[in-house]
Parts: sequence; C-alpha cells; structure tokens
Amino acid sequence: MKNFSAKAGDLVEISTDNEVFSGTLIPSVNHDILVLKLDSGYNLGIKKNKIKKFRLIKKFSQERPEKQNIVHNKNLPTISILHTGGTLASRVSYETGAVSARFTPEELLAMFPGLKEIANFRNKLVREMFSDDLRFKHFSILAREIEREIKNKVHGIIIGMGTDNLAVAASALSFVLESCPVPVILVGSQRSSDRGSSDAYLNLLSASLFITKTDFSGVAICMHENLNDKTCLILPACKTRKLHTSRRDAFKVVNDKPIARINYEMNQIEFLKKNYGKRNGRLAIKDKFEEKVGLIKITINMNAKQFLSYKGYKGLIIEGTGLGHTPLDVIDKETKEHAKIKKVLQVLSKNTVLVMTSQCLFGRVNMNVYSKGRELQELGVISGKDMLPETAFVKLSWLLGNYPKQVKELIGKNLRGEINENLTKEFLE
Amino acid sequence: MFDYNDLNLKIGLEIHQQLSNKKLFCNCSTKFQEKNLDSEFSRKLRAVAGEQGYVDVAAAFEEAKHREFVYHGYKDEYCLVDCDDDPPHEINQDALLTALSVAKLFKMNAPDEIQVMRKIIADGSACSSFQRTMLIGLGTKDSFIETTQGNVRITSLCLEEDACKIEKVHDNRIHYSLSRQGIPLLEIRTEPDIKTPEQAKEAAEQIGLLLRSFSSILRGIGTIRQDVNLSIKNGNRIEIKGFQELRMMPKTIDFEISRQINIIKQGKNVEKEVRKANDNGTTSFLRPLPGAARMYPDTDIKTISVNKELLNEVKIPELITDKIIKLQKKHNLSHELASQIIKENIDFEGYASKFKKIYSGLLATLLINYSKDKKGHLEFVLQNLNSGRITKDVIDSVMMNLRMNKKVNLEQFKSVNYSEIENEIQELIKKKPELSTNAVMGILMGKYRGRVDGKKLIEIINKLSTK
Repeated sequence: MKNFSAKAGDLVEISTDNEVFSGTLIPSVNHDILVLKLDSGYNLGIKKNKIKKFRLIKKFSQERPEKQNIVHNKNLPTISILHTGGTLASRVSYETGAVSARFTPEELLAMFPGLKEIANFRNKLVREMFSDDLRFKHFSILAREIEREIKNKVHGIIIGMGTDNLAVAASALSFVLESCPVPVILVGSQRSSDRGSSDAYLNLLSASLFITKTDFSGVAICMHENLNDKTCLILPACKTRKLHTSRRDAFKVVNDKPIARINYEMNQIEFLKKNYGKRNGRLAIKDKFEEKVGLIKITINMNAKQFLSYKGYKGLIIEGTGLGHTPLDVIDKETKEHAKIKKVLQVLSKNTVLVMTSQCLFGRVNMNVYSKGRELQELGVISGKDMLPETAFVKLSWLLGNYPKQVKELIGKNLRGEINENLTKEFLE
Repeated sequence: MFDYNDLNLKIGLEIHQQLSNKKLFCNCSTKFQEKNLDSEFSRKLRAVAGEQGYVDVAAAFEEAKHREFVYHGYKDEYCLVDCDDDPPHEINQDALLTALSVAKLFKMNAPDEIQVMRKIIADGSACSSFQRTMLIGLGTKDSFIETTQGNVRITSLCLEEDACKIEKVHDNRIHYSLSRQGIPLLEIRTEPDIKTPEQAKEAAEQIGLLLRSFSSILRGIGTIRQDVNLSIKNGNRIEIKGFQELRMMPKTIDFEISRQINIIKQGKNVEKEVRKANDNGTTSFLRPLPGAARMYPDTDIKTISVNKELLNEVKIPELITDKIIKLQKKHNLSHELASQIIKENIDFEGYASKFKKIYSGLLATLLINYSKDKKGHLEFVLQNLNSGRITKDVIDSVMMNLRMNKKVNLEQFKSVNYSEIENEIQELIKKKPELSTNAVMGILMGKYRGRVDGKKLIEIINKLSTK
C-alpha cells in the first residue's frame, strides 16, 4: 500500500498478513510508519509496507472547543497578555495527540479559569517563537505593542515567553522602556501547560494578582519560588538568571533580592524590596540596539583568533574568570599565544568598547587586585561591576544604539537596577 | 458454592509486575526502603485544556482542585524526574528488552514503532498528573495460557511507570512517597475468558510463575499485583484491586459474587466500580470505575523503533516451568519439591554435588524447610549428615540447638546402633517384666531423645515383648 487516502483523525481499519487493526489515524513523524490510536488509547506504529488492506471507517469531525461567553467585569481592571510563544498556553488534542498554542481570551480563560476572578484579559499573539530566536528588533516590536496596550488603558501587561531567554528579554525590555507607567511582567513556564502539573497556572495567576493589587510599575519576571506550588516571586528584570535547565524554580536573582513574594491561594503579596518603580509618569521608549556587539566566554587554551573574530564590532562583553581575568601572561613556551591575545585586545580596544563581567555570576568584577586585571584596564577593558554577562550584553548594545557618545560613562552606572553597589552576604545563601 | 456457568461469570485479569535495577526513565534505584526522608514539597493539579468534554477526567481534576498533594522524596529513591522537574531521561533499555521478551514469550505482536504515552491521572499518585506507558505487545491467536479449566487469552502487554504510594491523608492534604513512582511495571491483561474463581487464581499463578523466569523482575511483597475484572449475569463490571495474597482470590471473588447477587435480588443495579480486596475476603468500595483512559503522546520522548537490532537482543530465558520439570527428572524429585526449590531460587545443583550421600528427596526437603535458617547452620547439618555422623532423625534437634545458639555436642546426637538398643531392651524386659510398652518406650526415649526413630523403637519393643 502506498497511498492512504485518509487524514489524521479519521477512523480506519488496516490489515496486514496476519492481523487487523482499527483506530484513529495519527500524524506520524516517520514516513515509513503509520500510527494508529487504538481504542485503548495507545498509539501503535506499523510499517507501511506491511499493510495489505486499508479501509476508511469514519471521517474525522473537528472537535469544537466549548464556547465560553466572556462577560466583561466593570469592577475589575484589565490586563493585556502579549504572547510570544513558549509553553505558557498550549492545549492537547486527545484525538491526534497534537499540542497547539491557545491565544484567544476564551481559550485562555478555559485553560486558567481562576483568571477571571482577578481581571479582564486582552490577548494578543505577537509571535510564535522560541525565545532562542529573539533578535533585538523583537524588543522594539514588543515595545510598540506595549505602547498600544497602554493607550488602551490596560492596568498592566503580561508577556508570555519561552524561558530560555526570558531573563535576557526582561533586561532588554527594561532598557527599552526608559519610563513605564504600568507593570510589564514576563511570565514563562518550565513544564508545558498541557499537563495538570504545569507551573504555568500559578505563575500566570500570581503575575495577574501582583499587577492588580500593587503599585509596582516597570519590567519584572514572575516565576515559581521553589518546588512547591505555593509561592511565586517577582524578580528584578536585570538581575535574574535562568540557573537550571528544567526546574520550575530555575530563575534566581543574582547579586540582588527578589522584589516580592506572592501567595496566590492566601491572596498575599509581600514586598521584599522597598525601592521599586511606582506607577506614575508616562511611557518613554528607546528601542535602538547596536547590532555589532558580542559576548566572549573566557576558557583556558584560548587563541588570539577567537578575539580577532570581533574585529569591527562596536562592543564586546568579556565573560572573564574570577574577578575579571583572561589568559594574558607568557610564562613559558606553551603560553606564547597569550602575547598575541594581548596584542589583539590592544587593537580591538581602539574601536570596540570592551567590558569585563565574571562567569562566577555572583560577586563583582575587580580588576585592581591582580596585576593581570590592572593590565587589562590599561588595555582599555572597562569593569562591568556586578552585572550579569547577558545583561551587560544588552545594555552595551542598547547604549551604543541610543547614547553612543556616553557609552563608557554609562556602562558602569546603574540605570535599571542592573548594578548593585551594596552586595551583602545574603545574595548567595 | 455457585453455579458459575449459570451465573455467566466472566473474569479477566490485569497482572502488574515490577522490574528491577533502575527506574524506567531515570537512574534511581528500584530499591524501595523509604527510610531517609530527603525532601518534601507540595503541588496542586489542575485541569488541562482539551479535557473539557471528557467528563470523568474533568471531574477528577475538579476534585483535585481542592486538594494539596505532598510528595516525600527518600534518599537515592527519587530525583528531579520524579518531581516532574526534569524531563524523562532515556528509557531503561533492560526494562524495554524484558518487556519485549515477555511479549515474545506470549507470542504477541510488537508494534514496529513504540510510542510512549501519557495516561492522565488526577489523584496525585503521579506527580506529573500522568503515568508514562507504552504498548509493547498485542495478543494474537496464539497468545494464551493453558489452565486446567481451559485456555485464557492474553490481550496486551504494556510497560509503564509505577505510581506513588500513598502515605497518609490529612483532610485535603494527601501525602505520597516518590520511591515507587517510576519503577518499571509490566502490565499483562487477559481476555475475560476465566469462568471460575479457582481458574482465576490458577491463571494469575501461571502468569506470575512465567514472569519469574525473567531475571530482571523484582521479587518480594508488593512487587506483583493482580487486579480482577469480573461480571455476572444482570450485574456489572467490577474491578477488584489489592490482593495481599493470591490464595484469597477465589474466596474474594465468591464474596463479590454474593454481594452482587444480593443487590440484584433486591432489584437494584450493581454499580460499575473499583473495589479493594480486604484481608478477610470481603471487598470495599474504592472509587467509581473510570472511563476510557485519556492518553496522548509524551512529546519529551522520541518514538522507539522496534528494528532488527533491537529484536536480535530479545531473548526468552529458560522458563521456570521447564526448569522445574528438568530438575524433577534429573534428581527424581516430586513435582511439588522441584517447584518449591525453583520458586525459592535454591541452588539445588550446588548442594547436590557437595553432599552426594544425602538422597535428593531428603536434601530438597531440608533445603526448603531450613531455607530461612542461617546458611552456616544448614551447611553444618548437611555436612554431618553427609558424613554419617548424624542421622536424619536428629536434624530437627540439632537445628533447634543451633538456632538457640547452643553449643552442639555431636556425641549427643551420634547415630544409634539399633542392635545395641535391641540388646538393651531385652535386658530391661528381662529385669522388669512388669513394665508396659509405653514405660519401656519412655525410658529409652529419655536416653536417646532425638537420636532414634520412635516408630522403629516401638516395633522393636513390641517384637521383643511378644517373644
């Protein structure tokens, strides 16, 4: 049998030499395999070349989701959700097993019924993408969407995003929105919302509660505090990093404190930081980014060519070791390459802003302690202080785009909470 | 008790067998001690879009909404995969091969491509709200087991993850242990071909015995679980879970039949439900029978191609039933003894070659009777028996002494020369002819306790006193 006239979802009967199977046709990734969903619910893969007879029993009729009538509640504020993809809102079809994203307000409320007690929701699908595919331009697109929603008088904005670059996007947006009158909360989920145990539900409810119940404004992140489905944290946009590949509490604050803790079930919000942006002012967008900015991670055994590949770049973040170091010293014949590295850095620094951050993440860069650090400073490398490397990367690009003449002055200045001058011991505990 | 035929009794079985070594989708051990509590966290489960319209699933989640599930992780017995905080790792290849081998043994059809499914569970017993399961074999016309009351067809074989064990319930907080979650579990279903309670037990035993041929199955309490699905005329399908002992199965089924007959007599309807097997043979209501399972593919796991390379690795081990017959024939043992030796995994061949002078029937009996004693004690007894320093009649006494940690003086248990005893009895009768047989017996047993065969002694006394 070569041609099967049936489509996914159709009920069919197929015969091989010895057996007869009937079930629902399921889309198969493997072209040589036909997949049937049996009555028992199991999927059965059969080699197509074994099939001798094929019979269509019943055509698939599209299952229609129950239409929920959404009543606008005048007593509740309105929140706008801008979706960019990720696992926040997906739905599974038991007929075909396909998982698809859900973005209409009806669909979203069907998925998260608790939301309608908190606010009215507007939904917009901006992009359907992995956060790995983000380009600087997308921050500009998002900023314009935010502007439109603010004009629509929404009380706050939630951005649904894949978690991989969620923290980077949060810091980029916090630079783009130079002044923002409403809260813009980025929400993701580490376990897709097609399972009953998804963290999406609590993250979304907590973010919504936070938007409606507090005077916070500006960009932040809302994710699980720990493995319990109890509390979520509001995390500072520029000081948060995804530190675990899969845990629901993967997002951790580095060199700072979370802004607030939300216990949705108890309807409690506790601010952990006193200084945070309050609702006032107007929207100011600065959305230019310099494209030619890079980030290089320092390893042992590096060669000069790796640095040279950034020739022509306007900015380069160096993710150095420890207090902010690179290979630089020639101590024997094995380390001759380091002299070349030094030379390349010298050349680069003429036209490229070089900023040092640390791959330790926790703690601050200090290039005065060792002679190597001092030498790097002499070569023109600027300290990125306690900035996360990715935050420094978007900041440098944003500065080069919007304040090209003040880059060296502003890079070490705290603009959005990206630099913390008072590191205390509590941050790594 | 009942005319099962007239009742139109139909029984099908679901046998669940745990597999050993490591969990199905992570590296955690299947050793199940639950001793060192390592962490505890709580979760909520919520309905997922797509479940609307599926009343049973939706209802289950509706109930789950009001509950908090608390999971206990014990050291080395759980990891982030069990916490639903890490995607599943590669499938446990040993478990997959064992499952394919069992399918082959039952002459089932394996799919050309296996897809791991998520079966939705809303009671919290799976931290992720679903149990991963996959179809490994579908019954063919040759898939059946033979019982003394006819064949029972095998429907399907699945390989799945075991669920969490419930620890306690406090109002709306339900506590689960993560240790059992993820242990590979074979699920064998039969057709409702079973017609009597005894046949159900026999079929369950047979399947259990066949499974024991595979080296990677777990042994011990709770490692194999049998569910019974039964219906009678005018009744309804009932599932009975949680048999502590297989021998209670017929009694429990009979009780269930009476229960249903009573309901029918009162003109009421028998509700479809899941019932728990109690220790005394009765059953109690557990929950309504769930509708068809809601399943969808696990998108975290690639489909598994059942190709030639994989099938080449699928081997059926020597079956336990064959091992029993082989041992029985080789050593001229009874079927009973041979099967006990094999079931208890006793190294009979090893002992037989070491203690050649002990005849096999006795050796087998001793190995079974004293299988729970210290190996050193058993070896001591067998050695002395083999060398003729003691007779079989004193083994019990010697063993008793060893168990009480008494020093054993073999002189005391030295085998007795019956012709010497005969002389002694003759002397005694001559001296005190007034003594009754019992009295003579009493005197001699006092002296030779444990070293002589009582029966033989009576024979001698009777023989001599009638002279």
